[in-house]
Amino acid sequence: MRDTIVIGAGLSGLMGALALADAGRRPLVLAKGQGAMQWAAGTIDVWGAANGSLRAALGELITTDPGHPYARAGAAGVEAAIDRFRALMESARYPYVGSLERNVLLPTALGALRPAAFFPATMAAGDMRLGGAAHAGPPLLLAGFHELRDFFPPMAAENLTGQGIPARGVYLTLPPIARRLDFNTRVFAQLFDDPAFREDVGRQLRAARGDATRIGLPAVLGLRDPLGAVAHLQALSGAQIFEIPTLPPSVPGMRLFTIFREAIVKAGGRLQIGAEVLRGEGADGALTAVYSAAAAREQTHRANLFLLATGGVAGGGVRTDHTGSTWETALGLPLQAPGGRGEWFAPRFLNEAGHPIYRAGIATNPQLQPLDAAGAVVYRNVAVSGAALAGSDPIRERCYSGMALATGWRAGQILSSEL
Amino acid sequence: MRTIDTDVLVIGGGATGVGVLRDLALRGIRAALVEKGDLTHGTTGRYHGLLHSGGRYVVKDKQSASECAVENEILRRIMPHCLEDTGGFFVVTPADDEAYVPLFLKGCQETGVSVHEIAVREALRREPLLNPRISRAFEVRDGSADSFLATHSNAEDAVRHGAQVLTYHVVTGLERTGDRVTGAVCEDMRSGETVHIHTSYIVNAAGAWAGKIAELAGVKVTVVPGKGTMVAMNHRVLNTVVNRCKPPADGDIIVPIHTVAVIGTTDVHVPDPDVFGIEAWEVERMLSEGEQLVPGISKARVLRAWAGVRPLYKDQDVADDRDIPRTYKLLDHEARDGVKGMISMVGGKWTTYRMMAQEATDAVAAKLGIQAECRTHLEPLPIPAGAERKAGLYWLGKPLAAIEADSSYGHLICECELVTRERVVDAITSGKAANIDDIRRDTRLGMGPCQGGFCTYRAAALWHELKPATPPANDPPHGHAGNSVALLRHFLQERWKGLTVIAWGDQLRQARLDEIIYLDTLGLDLLPAPAPAEQNGAEMVTAHPAIATEYHAA
Repeated sequence: MRDTIVIGAGLSGLMGALALADAGRRPLVLAKGQGAMQWAAGTIDVWGAANGSLRAALGELITTDPGHPYARAGAAGVEAAIDRFRALMESARYPYVGSLERNVLLPTALGALRPAAFFPATMAAGDMRLGGAAHAGPPLLLAGFHELRDFFPPMAAENLTGQGIPARGVYLTLPPIARRLDFNTRVFAQLFDDPAFREDVGRQLRAARGDATRIGLPAVLGLRDPLGAVAHLQALSGAQIFEIPTLPPSVPGMRLFTIFREAIVKAGGRLQIGAEVLRGEGADGALTAVYSAAAAREQTHRANLFLLATGGVAGGGVRTDHTGSTWETALGLPLQAPGGRGEWFAPRFLNEAGHPIYRAGIATNPQLQPLDAAGAVVYRNVAVSGAALAGSDPIRERCYSGMALATGWRAGQILSSEL
Repeated sequence: MRTIDTDVLVIGGGATGVGVLRDLALRGIRAALVEKGDLTHGTTGRYHGLLHSGGRYVVKDKQSASECAVENEILRRIMPHCLEDTGGFFVVTPADDEAYVPLFLKGCQETGVSVHEIAVREALRREPLLNPRISRAFEVRDGSADSFLATHSNAEDAVRHGAQVLTYHVVTGLERTGDRVTGAVCEDMRSGETVHIHTSYIVNAAGAWAGKIAELAGVKVTVVPGKGTMVAMNHRVLNTVVNRCKPPADGDIIVPIHTVAVIGTTDVHVPDPDVFGIEAWEVERMLSEGEQLVPGISKARVLRAWAGVRPLYKDQDVADDRDIPRTYKLLDHEARDGVKGMISMVGGKWTTYRMMAQEATDAVAAKLGIQAECRTHLEPLPIPAGAERKAGLYWLGKPLAAIEADSSYGHLICECELVTRERVVDAITSGKAANIDDIRRDTRLGMGPCQGGFCTYRAAALWHELKPATPPANDPPHGHAGNSVALLRHFLQERWKGLTVIAWGDQLRQARLDEIIYLDTLGLDLLPAPAPAEQNGAEMVTAHPAIATEYHAA
């Protein structure tokens, strides 16, 4: 029997499992699939709305909105989680850079400037604050491939230009070694693992770069050694290379998943993907077992401690139906959610305040233990983390990954030392 | 100001209007058509896609039933590429009264609707998800129809024969000289330009909007807009059209069309064809009634809901809108109202559009003293260019077979509906599309399970790369790329309108994934603030109230 079970293999669950492993436990991670991190950009977004110091913004948020998941993690918890995350990435030769002093602005595949606190070093040269506020530097070059349907450089370049950042978008020719019928981001990442492929692309970049000193490419520059791939392309092209996140599936997300999985397994933990937890069983206010749907039969998993990190609506932890019901999928925990379906949405898709249904989640006490409507703890040996928590719309607040790391880390620590 | 001279002006770019235009053109009559939106932008593009056998009307609306039965066979001959021969069942579920059966069979016999009973076991063998408790099953010649493709095929053939098609042109006035209508004043909604159309004759084929057009000529035509709400299910739960064997009512039919199955429909009187939304009860009624036909369907994933307005023509007092006949009516305003130079063709069904067009064109030809005979029932419609393999009736695996034959998997812009780069490029460069929603009507882009999650970004980018960088008249603030961003915002908003009433379960999850894509990964909301008008999508075509329906939040 494992002493700890983590339900969910997204960023939050894996960060929680890492914290548990660090504390000497050997967590079992049960998950339906590989988690939502492969849908996201791969940056660590702490708080999108912060204009200046992220530390200050977090401090203010924790004071003014004590029900926010960040308040559960605490300011120190956020910093500790990020430090641990960065140490892990550093050790895997996939370093993250950035700071809590302020957000950087990274170009998107649409040419918008999105804020991020920490980001893989492979994206670092994309910081649009480089070269001064007036962006007086030489124009950027954005390059892609017609065969990659999830990245269109000309539109992104023109949107950047429209915001005062001169940029050009070009398409490269797929090297002959790469003749295939269909391409996706993962296939491209595997191609970029091949030095011969990079040689060809690098030569094309040198020919296309003109006076550009920085070149943006889709974030598909290898699965095995992306930093090495970037260095190689820089040497070949004579310009700084940076990655721009693409539509899902996200290669930076794949890299994160692999790094976490290896670290957790190395520390004695285990990941069981394809094991969707469907219900739990408890006694005397404690959860004793969970049941997962395996290929041929139901499996029982017993443990002393549980971390629930199944996500919100996107991750699959919060489910809804046509009657307007909402429920938590793994353990049937009480949810905090808007009323009937009439209250779920705003009329505009891009409504600034977001859509109320996406704030649905589990209410917890400061120990991240799940609470019922009356405020009583449902299971004393369960902690909740990530987008399954109520009180936030992490996509609108641009803290999806930061909040996942911070609460996952905090939940893992609480489970290993305080409960 | 522009001036156009033509012999006949057709108002309305739905099935009837383009049908009339083609008929006129084939008879060698100079004709132009104006449509305030894109072709099929009104009712034609918002119906459930049923090719009627006539079976639905055999009891209460015998004339309509006969018309459908006749036209069904003609359409199979002239536009097979737009039709799928799904076949149709009328089934008696435990909730239905068997006493209707003899009435139904007698009606079929009287109206020439082909029908024969099959064993329940045989019906269940062919449709395993059908309610096993049905007591009887009757087979008819129902099918499903791609009304977008059919309309485009008609328009293309009309243009090939010399007709003009002016989309995004709204009629703002009709000109009268004495007791004769002599022309129309239109606004080109993309440029704001005024266009005068001088014509000898006008055919009002504006469907649910026919009353509004007639009013411009000082003539009263009472069209009752009957709103019908439909929901599309994620799967083709059935491959046969299945009807309840009972008098028509809400949610009594499921139509398999392309990759989805559509449950239809409600019938709700609305005061104005431009102002309506979808109510939660309508969606719930579709799902609960759908349970009678396919048990468990209400738990399945719903992709989208939409509504169209029927152009029901009311010429006497009828208590219930469902009792208004579904047949059509030709109104000769000279005989009826003493106003020369205009007829209105009102009512009818998509299935009978060609017959309506023939009758309208016969009337116009007679007025103009032209002898040419109708040929639309004889000459097949052209198949859109570069798609010979589309010949013959459509079948579900056909698009995939074409993709496989071409090895064009790597060129899919919309994976859900198998729309290739080539087809999107064609739709953009043809010059007729004003926005991504128009591309959708040409290609089905964005109509599958992900509802535009992936393909909207790709389509906007292709638009950006293909369209010459001419700033539109209303001058969006960020130049050319600003325009493709506006297109993107507009289409996502269009999709959102049809999602909010059915977003739960997996479809809600899908909508949240769209937020991850467009907000988290792409930062669409971070691009410089759009003009207030664009937030509602108005910039894409017009803020003109005549097509404002598109931009009302449901």
